[in-house]
Amino acid sequence: MRVLVVEDDEGIAEGLAAYLGRDGHAVDRAATLAAGWAALRAEPFDLLLLDLGLPDGDGLGLLARLRAAPAGALPDPATPVLVMTAREQVAARVDALDRGADDYVTKPFDPDELAARMRALRRRAAGRSQPLLQHGALVVDPAGRSVLRDGQPVPLAAREFAVLLALLEARPRVLSRQQLEAALYNFDSALESNAIEVYVHHLRKKLGDGVIRTLRGVGYYVPAEPAA
Amino acid sequence: MSAPAATAAQPHSLLRHLLAWTLGALVLTWASFLVAGYRAGLHEADELTDGHLASVAALVLAGGSRGWQAPPDDEAPPPPPSHEYQRTISLVLWDAQGRLLAHSGPAPLPAFSREEGFATLALGSPPRPWRSFARWSDDGADAAARQRVLVLIDDADRVSLAWDIAGQVAAPGLWLLPALALVLGLAVRRGLRPLRALGDDVRALDVQQAGGLRDAHPAQEFTAVVDAINQLVARYHAALQNERELASELAHELRTPLSSLVLRSRALREAEGPPDRAALARLERDALHAGEVLGQLLALARASHAALAEAAQPVDLEALARRVLADAAPAALAAGHELALDSAGPCRVDGHPLLLELALRNLVENAVAHTPPGTLVELRLDAARRTLLVCDGPLPPGAGSPAAAAPGRPAVPVGALGLGLGHRVVAKVAAVHGARFDQPPPPPGFSRCDRLQFAPAPAGGAPPGSEAERISIVTERRAPSRPI
Repeated sequence: MRVLVVEDDEGIAEGLAAYLGRDGHAVDRAATLAAGWAALRAEPFDLLLLDLGLPDGDGLGLLARLRAAPAGALPDPATPVLVMTAREQVAARVDALDRGADDYVTKPFDPDELAARMRALRRRAAGRSQPLLQHGALVVDPAGRSVLRDGQPVPLAAREFAVLLALLEARPRVLSRQQLEAALYNFDSALESNAIEVYVHHLRKKLGDGVIRTLRGVGYYVPAEPAA
Repeated sequence: MSAPAATAAQPHSLLRHLLAWTLGALVLTWASFLVAGYRAGLHEADELTDGHLASVAALVLAGGSRGWQAPPDDEAPPPPPSHEYQRTISLVLWDAQGRLLAHSGPAPLPAFSREEGFATLALGSPPRPWRSFARWSDDGADAAARQRVLVLIDDADRVSLAWDIAGQVAAPGLWLLPALALVLGLAVRRGLRPLRALGDDVRALDVQQAGGLRDAHPAQEFTAVVDAINQLVARYHAALQNERELASELAHELRTPLSSLVLRSRALREAEGPPDRAALARLERDALHAGEVLGQLLALARASHAALAEAAQPVDLEALARRVLADAAPAALAAGHELALDSAGPCRVDGHPLLLELALRNLVENAVAHTPPGTLVELRLDAARRTLLVCDGPLPPGAGSPAAAAPGRPAVPVGALGLGLGHRVVAKVAAVHGARFDQPPPPPGFSRCDRLQFAPAPAGGAPPGSEAERISIVTERRAPSRPI
């Protein structure tokens, strides 16, 4: 999942980036509203983690601006937004939710709770209600970051899991290599030109050739119906 | 236990109080009328009876007293009065030699004398007072033919007449008094209705709301009270709101380093390989910041006028300022700031040393945290004006915004609260010490100034004009000039 963290506290931003990065998320950080807006305009993000008290203004201003953006272009006004702030008053929470936030956590928060809320937001954005993703004999648990094939666990690296999850959530749509890269890497990552091909190759070796298909010259996809 | 006893005691009723005073005054007035009526009645009775006696005497003498015969039988009872207002008059007649010619009426026979005029005689056994009038007949040169007439009336009749007159004067009051008391009670009760309304309004007052009293209470006599209550409620509400905002902001200030601590700890726990020393250092800094905020929170929570009264002690602000600046110097100098202290000598105030240090530290650290490198932060202690100023100078050439951090250092150093919150902390400490915290126009060469103005020293303390009597503290910020 590509996540943008708009947070001015260096410790929190770094901690979030480290914690989420280990789960295979691509995390970009912005310390100001201006930097956050620039990042949203540059790349699509699966989730925005937004602090409210920022040096150049209130995060709710960025939220309102995002929600008011035209659809079909960047920034994507449908981007899920999770507000994380030290404002604990009910009125502040209600205000943030009313102005377009999808969820709200109060500092200090448990990182596991934050991750669970992020998964829930991602699930809702993908139109799913079930926490597990199933595709034929394949069962993927985004929370536990585990994959079962015919009931047997399949060990996957963090990036491999991220590619599989992105394709499963997007099925049967085709994701280009650039889209997969955008979901897997942040602005600072050093990309190798064939990284996505390598991850797909590893996934096919572990899961079989029938799960991930290639549309030559376009990208990769998981078919709506699993191969018999 | 005086408090429960006081609580159990019946509250004093203003209505009863007013009624008691009003009716008391009324009864007093009525009693004075009664006394005046009795005295007037006595006087009138004197005039009436004396006139009556004189008239009877004149009538007897003019009507030919020679027609009077020997004295009647003294034992015979007086004839009954023919009219209810008729007075029983006694009459005694003597000739010039003192022989009794006639005697009528219930009065005992007095001894003969040659006196004329009015007199009060004590007659009978036991003696009773009788009012009398004596007169000699005027028979020309024949002195031997002259007669002396004595007319008497029982003095009790005279007193009875006086009481009768007084009764007539006071009688209306007897039936008017209860009616008047009732009417007065109702009038006073009705007149006190605005006061009761004010009492009900005060009783229903919710100090959590800033509105004050619900009703206007337009009575002129209530204006001062209503204004005072509304001002008191407004001030209380403002103080309450201030406390809430302060607590909320301190909690906010505490939550951020705690969040950072949690996330960094988790990252370190799950990290593979040797521990990241930089991450550990950041962890330590966050923990120190959280501890600093918590310490300030606790100090402020304990801060109150009552606590200050118990813990107040003489504090030398100059020594305190020197210590605070020395503590702040390493971080400030490392960040390219300059610090300076301008003080003429020791300045003592009665206060809480920990809280005063907290306030001073906040002012200095905020001045350092919110100004670019190269700025001079100066602390001025003015004993004459009991003022402490923290000022910073204009931005040095090429500097960014005051809030911008120098590269490689956090915008706010460890321990420094946000500017607004830091000022709230200082304002709270100032309020506890009865001091004033504000931002006056900065002195020449400075761009911003925070001032703590302490109240004048109490009378009987240091002599006027002395260093101990006049204390002021100034912290200033400006462009580099004089390092400490």
